[in-house]
Amino acid sequence: MTTPIFRNLARIPALAALALLAPTLHATGGKIVIKAGRIITQSGPDIQNGVIVIENGRITSVGADTKAPWDAEVLDHPELVAFPGFVEAHTSRGMDRSNENITVTPFLDVRDSIDPISFYFEDSLRAGITTINVQHGNSCVIGAQGMIVKPFGITIEQLQVRPQSGIKIVASPRPGASRALQAQQLRGAFADLRRYLEKLVQDTKDGKDTARREALFQGRDMDKDENKTGRAMEGNANWKLKGFEIVPRGEVDDKQEPLLRAVEGKLPVFLYCDSAASVLLGIDVARENGLLGTTTLVLDGDSWKAADQIAAAKLSVILSPELVYSERDPVTGKEVRTFVPGVFDKKGVHFALQSLNQSSQSLWFQAATCVAWGLDRKKALDAVTRVPAEELRLGKRVGSLEAGKDGNVLLLNGDPLSVKSSVQYVVLEGDLVYDRSKDVRVRQLIEGVEQNNTAPSGAVEPGDVCGDEHKEVGGDPTKKDPGEKKDETKPDHDHGGKKD
Amino acid sequence: MWIHSGFLALLLSSTLVGNQDAPQKPPEPDKHEAPAKQESAAPQKPEAEKNSGPSILIRAKRVFVRPGEVLEQASVLVRDGKIIAVGKDLAAPKGAQVLEAEVVCAGFLDPWSALCIDSGSWSEPGATAATRAVDAFDPWTPESLRKDTLRAGVTSVRIQAGSYSRTSGVGSVVRVAPQLDLEHAVVNAASCVSMNIGLTSNAGGGQSVEFVDGQPTLVDTRGRPMDTFDRLSDLDRVLSALESGRTYLYSLVDHKHELEDWQKKIVEKETELEKDAKKAKKDREKAQKEAEEKAKTFEDKRYREDKRPQPPRYDEDAEVMSRVADGVLPFFVQAHRVAELRGLVEGTQDFDRLRLVVVGASQARTCAHQLAERGIPVLLWPALRGKGAPEEYTGGDPSLAGDLARSGVSVLLGSGGVDPASTRDLPLLAQLAIGHGLDRVKAFEALTIGAARALDVSDRLGSVERGKDADLLLLDGDPLDAGTRVQRVISAGRLVLNPED
Repeated sequence: MTTPIFRNLARIPALAALALLAPTLHATGGKIVIKAGRIITQSGPDIQNGVIVIENGRITSVGADTKAPWDAEVLDHPELVAFPGFVEAHTSRGMDRSNENITVTPFLDVRDSIDPISFYFEDSLRAGITTINVQHGNSCVIGAQGMIVKPFGITIEQLQVRPQSGIKIVASPRPGASRALQAQQLRGAFADLRRYLEKLVQDTKDGKDTARREALFQGRDMDKDENKTGRAMEGNANWKLKGFEIVPRGEVDDKQEPLLRAVEGKLPVFLYCDSAASVLLGIDVARENGLLGTTTLVLDGDSWKAADQIAAAKLSVILSPELVYSERDPVTGKEVRTFVPGVFDKKGVHFALQSLNQSSQSLWFQAATCVAWGLDRKKALDAVTRVPAEELRLGKRVGSLEAGKDGNVLLLNGDPLSVKSSVQYVVLEGDLVYDRSKDVRVRQLIEGVEQNNTAPSGAVEPGDVCGDEHKEVGGDPTKKDPGEKKDETKPDHDHGGKKD
Repeated sequence: MWIHSGFLALLLSSTLVGNQDAPQKPPEPDKHEAPAKQESAAPQKPEAEKNSGPSILIRAKRVFVRPGEVLEQASVLVRDGKIIAVGKDLAAPKGAQVLEAEVVCAGFLDPWSALCIDSGSWSEPGATAATRAVDAFDPWTPESLRKDTLRAGVTSVRIQAGSYSRTSGVGSVVRVAPQLDLEHAVVNAASCVSMNIGLTSNAGGGQSVEFVDGQPTLVDTRGRPMDTFDRLSDLDRVLSALESGRTYLYSLVDHKHELEDWQKKIVEKETELEKDAKKAKKDREKAQKEAEEKAKTFEDKRYREDKRPQPPRYDEDAEVMSRVADGVLPFFVQAHRVAELRGLVEGTQDFDRLRLVVVGASQARTCAHQLAERGIPVLLWPALRGKGAPEEYTGGDPSLAGDLARSGVSVLLGSGGVDPASTRDLPLLAQLAIGHGLDRVKAFEALTIGAARALDVSDRLGSVERGKDADLLLLDGDPLDAGTRVQRVISAGRLVLNPED
């Protein structure tokens, strides 16, 4: 996950052109009034002909008879439906590279890998996803620290919603390993942490200053209060560390510190499991190291078979984008299909959905598929808004339209789960960041690409710094970030699902 | 090595609690302290908390308590997963389920199986000594396969990750019955450590067993077949792993004593200094002077006082092997040819605490007396493999078990650990061995208490005795008789197979 600084620098002109595709339509200063024919608040009953007032990026009021401030910009669309922005609970897209070659990397941060101008973010915005939890890929043992972002901006600081939102831990075998070996390495990583900390305590008792010197060498400010003082180990791990309070926290090596934070319950864990047996392993490792309270399971494959154990461990889950699991009965040879969200719904486990891809099978499609399989509509909608918001510990900020929450509002030309609806406007923290009528890529898809394939009007001419990148400017909208896996080559415009 | 003896004695006593039934020791689980405690506690507990769980009373014409010991017209009472009484006139407690059976015996244990482990881990080529099979245990193995196995009378199996790789890591004993929670499904997470010598599958060429569509298949892999030197280096690898384990154990013991010395010295020094700081200083200077005059190094002592002795560098594999070298974990080594078997038996001679079990042992006849003398049990797979079998099995024949047993070798029987479905055939394989000269009682012992002893689970499995786990077969005839059917199976105290299943 090395930062491709030089490549990004070279891309700046291209980037400026791209930014126009989802342009800062109105810098409203975060003060905007949205009038919609129907507001689906997700926190109470729907409001007909309602008004949403957003000031300083936060919703100040939602209601039918709310008075709009005189100086606010008004988005008056009685024909549209307002809906809170979708929340993507877990993804490894939008990154330069989603996996590393080494298997234990708690010291890395996806911040250094996220590519703000990745098409993924643009597509997410188009599909109405306004909050995205980007986590390290699943081919690892302990991954990097993740980050919650919003899909608008050209620097990582602009994207940032919450840094270090969690850490990826994988209980299912990565490619080239078996579950036994994965388990050995996973348990080994925590055992290493424990031995490292025990040695640190012993060294401190013996008066050695190696750790301190190493910390200074790594450039840590050891005079800061938080680094100066030690404190006893917190958290619910089955193992306890005696005398840890004598070690100044700044002396804990950067390579181990994030995992220690996870063990102390200060860094949420996203635990990936691709089979039921892996779930048992994952829960066991989580319990042993005191992670259960902060763990969210990211599931795949036949993990749903362990739904009872998941419910017993009181964990909430993020489900695989493949909502239906099919397998063959070993005796009869018949294909058996299982609707996975239905299983968890019956067990009373909170579940969030993931997009299969960022355009046609985005969160709205996943929720609509759930409704088609008989899941309660409210639960399906919650699974792409409120539940993921809770799982990301953003329950007070996103997931519904009510006073005090972030001003993330979608305006759709119909029901959010309808195949005929599309996102017309996106207001992100009070700024209108997407207007479908001005979406160049959608227009090009409908009207055809202009003959000479020139940059959209208003694009900044490429400067001298990047002669090689000229071709990219305004050209080839299908060119994708190499880090992305499941890109669709066509940009979304129709939410092209087959059903409602 | 004066330092070690004390510690080893300590370890010895602690080891005994865990493994009352090490194969080298006489099989007397009842006379030991630990099980005695369990047994004395067992009858009191249920009385104290009455109706703590549903109980099952089995009335049988014959109860095979243990190999060669049969109780006529007896009953077995089961509650909370344990056998709480075995006797003639047991009354059924209130609410107890009463079952009738011709014969009751302990469930069979397959010490060499591929059932209930996920196939990826089963074929893991990169397993090390510390790789744990219990992490690869798959509670979602197809139920049909498990029921077939239960119907044959096999209630528990030993699994290994990387079964046919050079090193298979720490093996586990798990129960076959479906829908047990993890706590009941795993009998012993660390039952043994296993390695393999001279297998064609290790050569990186020739033939190997691989899973194709979930079915184990012999696959021809291109490259160099296993030759004599490969086998020698395999043997060397096993012995040096043992040696590294022992070295690690010794350095742990050394460190412990150094630490004690160091702490003692510190205390002595402190009191000395407190007593008379000046005098102490003079003494020290004098000692230093003397040392310098005598050209001794005075630094050594100072060093020991100033610096805490460092523990040996942690190595998870050496740590596991140290337990093997110390006899805490049994050591299952698969070897087939005469040279490998001899090399293994001779090379492990000076590991006097090692609990070796030789697996496979196709050509063991030639060193039968050595095996008998050292009390090394042999785990056999009495199957005739046809053409296309890996070459090391071509020497295997069903009369081997009988021959070895007659030479005084303790014989165990397994289903080979290749095919998950073949664990079902274990009783059939035992019958094959009986037909070729193995004593019926010895065959029964091999499938029950013998296997349990070899895998450190004889305090829980292998016989119908008070205090043991209730893993029972209800049969309509003698166990290991070709005409006998398994009618009901109780595993971990639960009725997991009924005639109508």
